[in-house]
Amino acid sequence: MQKPPVLTVVLGVFAALLAIVPLGYLVLRLAEGIEAASAELARPRTFELLSNTVLLVVSVSLTALVVGVVQAWFVVRTNLRYPGFYAVVATVPLAIPSYVLALGYVSIFPWFSGFWASWLVLTMATAPYVFLAVSAALLRVDIAAEEVGRSLGLSRLQVFLKITWPQVRTSATAAVLLVSLYVLSEFGAIALLRFDTFTRAIYNAYRSSFDRTAAASLALVLVALTLVIVLLERRYRGDYLMQRPANPRRLKQDLGKLQTPVTLLLALFGLLGAGLPMAALLNWTMIGSSSTDLAKLVSATLSSFGIALLAAILVSIFALAVSIWVVLHKNKLGSFIEGLLWSNHALPAIVVGLALVFFGANVTPWIYQSIWLLMIAYLILFLPNGLAAMSTPLAQVPKGLTEVSQSLGQSYRKSLTKVILPIASPGLIAAAALVMLTVLKELPATLLLRPTGAETLATRLWSATEELAYAQAAPFALVLVIIAGLPALALNASVRKTYAEVNEE
Amino acid sequence: MSLLALTGITKNFGEGNVLKGISLEVQEDELVAILGSSGAGKSTLLRLIAGFEKPDQGEIVFDGNVVAGESFLPAEKRKIGIVPQDGALFPHLNVYDNIGFGIAKDPNKDSRIQQLLKLIELEGLEKRKPQELSGGQLQRVALARALAPKPKLVLLDEPFGALDAELRDRLRNDVRRIIHAEGVSAILVTHDQEEALSLADRVAVLREGRIIQVGTPTEIYNSPADIGIATFLGESVLIDGKVTDGKVTTDLGKLTALNQVVEGQSGVVAIRSENFYLQPNPAGDSEVVGRVFFGHDAVVEVQTPSLKIKARSNGPFAPEVGMKVTVWVRGAVNFYPTK
Repeated sequence: MQKPPVLTVVLGVFAALLAIVPLGYLVLRLAEGIEAASAELARPRTFELLSNTVLLVVSVSLTALVVGVVQAWFVVRTNLRYPGFYAVVATVPLAIPSYVLALGYVSIFPWFSGFWASWLVLTMATAPYVFLAVSAALLRVDIAAEEVGRSLGLSRLQVFLKITWPQVRTSATAAVLLVSLYVLSEFGAIALLRFDTFTRAIYNAYRSSFDRTAAASLALVLVALTLVIVLLERRYRGDYLMQRPANPRRLKQDLGKLQTPVTLLLALFGLLGAGLPMAALLNWTMIGSSSTDLAKLVSATLSSFGIALLAAILVSIFALAVSIWVVLHKNKLGSFIEGLLWSNHALPAIVVGLALVFFGANVTPWIYQSIWLLMIAYLILFLPNGLAAMSTPLAQVPKGLTEVSQSLGQSYRKSLTKVILPIASPGLIAAAALVMLTVLKELPATLLLRPTGAETLATRLWSATEELAYAQAAPFALVLVIIAGLPALALNASVRKTYAEVNEE
Repeated sequence: MSLLALTGITKNFGEGNVLKGISLEVQEDELVAILGSSGAGKSTLLRLIAGFEKPDQGEIVFDGNVVAGESFLPAEKRKIGIVPQDGALFPHLNVYDNIGFGIAKDPNKDSRIQQLLKLIELEGLEKRKPQELSGGQLQRVALARALAPKPKLVLLDEPFGALDAELRDRLRNDVRRIIHAEGVSAILVTHDQEEALSLADRVAVLREGRIIQVGTPTEIYNSPADIGIATFLGESVLIDGKVTDGKVTTDLGKLTALNQVVEGQSGVVAIRSENFYLQPNPAGDSEVVGRVFFGHDAVVEVQTPSLKIKARSNGPFAPEVGMKVTVWVRGAVNFYPTK
């Protein structure tokens, strides 16, 4: 196999250094001040945060599992009317950042806060992950095995429990672990709904004192919790027993009299997950339309776009370099670096933000409070997304093409730029666009690291909600959903579709 | 009384009728093959018998009870075993648990599983997962799983489709042996005429939703009901002919018809390629123009003065390309009058 191009190696190693140095620094500094840190953690408050966090993670995971599986079952496995519509309804919450969802609820019900509020909002925000994973798995369940089960005398419920569920379980478990990572690192919604978990406590500790030991110690506990889930997740990832998609006619069971109640249930989920909060925000935008500061809205939109575009370009360059290295020239160092970068996918953004504040203030004051520190945070946070999205189109380019191109007299470098990259480019561009849309929605790291005076849609929305000015916050939320959320949802769906099609072959 | 009786079954999925009035009986301890090309409605018919679909019209009586028609008995109540196309073993269970799946509450479960393992010659593999089995082993386990609760009827849906030729032969014999050892009736659905002819006690030919002919393999092969079946069941040469003096006059001479013929009728005779005899004859009016050698036999292409035929010849003695021959037709032929 060819050696990887030097540039990809240089970029890859540089990305790896960026990814570990700030966090490593956080750990080292804490280790130096181990006494202060352990004193901080020994307070009963830590235990309260821990139990709150675990309670929220576990309860949301369970309900998101139930909601997602129910939606997936009815959409995929029954003769529900308009299944396509309900599939969209089930995934639409993905387009809405969870803090926007929370804002929608708070703006209707001012008393909406605490555990139950966070539980509801995060359940609705994360159920789509379960829905997507489980509906994909249900489409590929071995229908013949289910029929054998029935021919051996099992009732429909027994068939589901003994034959269908074991085939879906791995996907569902992976999705639930993803959900728990999401809840663990969620900051915006939880802070807005004033429920004390680690992320909110970290932010408050950071805001309230110049001694950052408290915030940093809590951040490390959060990382430890994350690590537990990541290790669990690793055991389940990719362990699928999938078949080809089944004959749709055999897949569908007759709902009969349940048609209407099921439709109502799915509509209710849609209402809770998107309809109600979005209607509220739309309403607030109308009410406040005369007082909406259009100039602020436009400037926040532009600076959001500018920042996200820059981040997407940087992330894409590094992601492409590492992907080329890993996909086309797999070697030990490359795989190691990919694994290292990937391991950051679960890192809560608030922790990354805090580590960079720490690092920037103490080690690299020359980029502190500049846009570059924020860019490093985005690199750490979104390089895993970029890697996942970019290696797929690269891996799909037929292997022999480079060799053919070289046999026709092109250098390796020319073959790469004239053959492989053009073929993969639609997928690569989609990947870059997805990164950009994801950056647009990012809140906690942006909040901590934005250059002085810079305001994005997300930070404007945040400061307005802190002042309980819902009419002011609502237009920012709406614009965010329209320019970032919905396009990301559409793009994601099309990426998933091509991916599925390619894997059918 | 027959074990299974279908009368006037129709089924329509909204895209035109898949089944258009099927009637068929299966006796105790009988293996019936349903033979048809893809899209003929074979699988639908099987699914109706199993109880996964309801017929639009018609009645199915199984083991003395109406299971579809006036009343309907769903699959889980019918006690009819099924062996799907690719086995469809439960991927999360090992061989032992797969076979034991339908007899979970049977006190003699263990001995029954052991007995079946012995029957399918997979003793010692009970701990294996489906992913660790070969294609032939998968199918045998699937068969054992279907047989475990001692059903009176098992349905085999193209069970050998995914296997290579040699394995298919062996498995065919195994399946026949196992089914007879268990004393169970079976319906085999297949598009492979060789499979149907070699395995079944009776063959039902299904075409475009209708059963065209039912009979023993010999009957079906020797007296196909129409030209379609004749060409489907094996290579046949079709030659125009006319009935004169009780015989069929063709370009290959006067041939005896197996079936009843009416004087003066014209039509087509179907001659199986193995029913030609090629006599080397330097003065013959036909010439060998092509030859495909298979070892045990060969297919020889012969140009007669009026037509080109394909004849199957004993391999080692097949005439070479360029040889002059005289073409003889052995035995009687089937005559199909033009409508």
